Amino acid sequence: MARTITYAEAICEAQRDALRNDPDVILFGENVAAPWRPSTKGLKDEFGKERVRDAPITETAFIGAGVGAAIAGMKPIVELMLIDFGLVAMDQILNQMAKTTYMTGGNINVPMVMRAIYGARGGGAATHSECLYGVYAHMPGMKIVVPSNPYDAKGLLATAIKDKNPVVVFEHSRLTNMKGEVPEESYEIPFGVANLVREGSDVTVVAVGKMVNEAARAADELKDKVSVEVIDPRTLVPLDEEAILRSVQKTGRLVVVDEDYERCGFSAEVAAIVAEKGFHNLKAPVARVANPNVPLPFNKELEKQILPDTEKIIRAIKNVVK
Amino acid sequence: MHMSITDSVKLDLYRAMVRIRTFENGIRTLMNEGKIGHVSFYTGGEAVAAAVSAHLVKEDQIGSTHRPMGHLVAKGADLKKMMAEIAAKSTGTNKGKGGAYHIFDKEVGALGANGIVGGSVPMTAGYALRNQIKKTDNIAISYFGEGASNQGGVQETLNLAACWKLPMVFVCENSSPEEQTMLGHKIDYPQLSISDISLRAPAYGMSGGSGNGWEVEKVYKIAGEAVERARKGDGPTLLEFKIHRLNADEDSEYCPIKCYRDKLMMENVLTEELDEKIRSEEAAEVKEAMDYAMGSPEPEPIEAFDDIFVEGN
Repeated sequence: MARTITYAEAICEAQRDALRNDPDVILFGENVAAPWRPSTKGLKDEFGKERVRDAPITETAFIGAGVGAAIAGMKPIVELMLIDFGLVAMDQILNQMAKTTYMTGGNINVPMVMRAIYGARGGGAATHSECLYGVYAHMPGMKIVVPSNPYDAKGLLATAIKDKNPVVVFEHSRLTNMKGEVPEESYEIPFGVANLVREGSDVTVVAVGKMVNEAARAADELKDKVSVEVIDPRTLVPLDEEAILRSVQKTGRLVVVDEDYERCGFSAEVAAIVAEKGFHNLKAPVARVANPNVPLPFNKELEKQILPDTEKIIRAIKNVVK
Repeated sequence: MHMSITDSVKLDLYRAMVRIRTFENGIRTLMNEGKIGHVSFYTGGEAVAAAVSAHLVKEDQIGSTHRPMGHLVAKGADLKKMMAEIAAKSTGTNKGKGGAYHIFDKEVGALGANGIVGGSVPMTAGYALRNQIKKTDNIAISYFGEGASNQGGVQETLNLAACWKLPMVFVCENSSPEEQTMLGHKIDYPQLSISDISLRAPAYGMSGGSGNGWEVEKVYKIAGEAVERARKGDGPTLLEFKIHRLNADEDSEYCPIKCYRDKLMMENVLTEELDEKIRSEEAAEVKEAMDYAMGSPEPEPIEAFDDIFVEGN
């Protein structure tokens, strides 16, 4: 039965289900046992401090321990407090977690989930605000999940925990308190299947994470003037290319919205795929609304200049349909 | 703790060292014949791998380095599949995709050579974590060198292991025991400002000890105590063994095989005949591994695209 809960509560439920159903699932990270954190609330009390344990502030050591535990047969969920902090542990993430399966010819697999808060929080500055899924998606060997709402968060995380491969789940700091209908029972959402958020015929908007909601708002505001289709790929790796190409075939126009850096990032990837495989369907150049390669400034007015938002998306849509 | 070493254990230690050296000499032969590429050798450290592994069972895990041969051979990794991997063949432990620096043989808990200096150390804490959570009495051994001992990830993992009381032993092989060198170059500024790396153990709240890594029985005793501590749930230990990187022959005073051979001959545990028998048996195994590797097929070109992910739930 569905009831209304928050994004963070949905994440907590997916972990609770997994910890209940599979003794190999463990959870650790900085402060995951703290009673006030909504995405892990109550888990230590139910499953004990062995399986739900706090780690010292040493990302390399505890992410590496997650990689090792996964190789040795556990299914660790490792929480990284902020995705920006993962930059201190890049050897364990990119060299070890991501590459070990390929480098062992598939003889070793790493069934590990790394959860991390990402995104602009309003005045977080550039070490507490980044997206970085572009960095992760660039390296082969990790599945990349960016849920945009509570329903997807629970279902995608459930799938992530069951996956035999490393999965990085990006949870937007500004979505933590977002409410939505979520079934009480456990369910899984397959990776690589995009969600059609708004159906339309004039322009396709592809967006991920929090930007899905900004894009949907833009579509709603424009609904009497422009018919906007909004697609949420939900997972960057694997990516539902088909859904994007099919939509562009219908609309002939594409706007990609991405909170991450524009250069060599997700927005560039989607634009490249459409240029390679859907070029002849395009009636206008592809537009991108992304971070223009600026470390996010602390001042909120300056931050607003850099971040994509509904207003900028509307401007881009109007530009490609005129 | 007093630990007497039986003749049978002595001969096992000796044989394990001979096996490691013979295996690496087999690699040298193939390298000199131009049949395989470059490999970083373990030669000179045999006593450490042999003596540490003598305390392990198959279900215990090890994490290793870019000089992994001793650790892997002593842990019982498949010689044929290892040699095939070194030769980049499809029958290798890693199907020819990892090479010598990345050999894994999970059947015997040999969970990884590693191409990044210090890279395997945090992962090895994960093997120990699994043992702890599963309430087994298995332990994990984390091998690394004196250079890796300064890496942030190694220092972090020493702390994590102590905080979580993980069942593991850190085994640092210090190959610059007198003057500090890096890949043979005498460095102007030292990598270490202390004489013994195990001096760091108390700073992390764990037990530690150092010893000569070319005296196999000493390593056996020191490692035995650390392994027992880990198995009992009394937490991790940081050990350091000084070694000298050597070549194929056994003429150095620091050659652990030569030292032990002389000792066992004096004790009448080893005879010329028995030594000959051990060496010819090990040589035959290594020859078989070399033939297997050379006779194995290259991977199919299409295999380049496989194994990025494993399939299924």
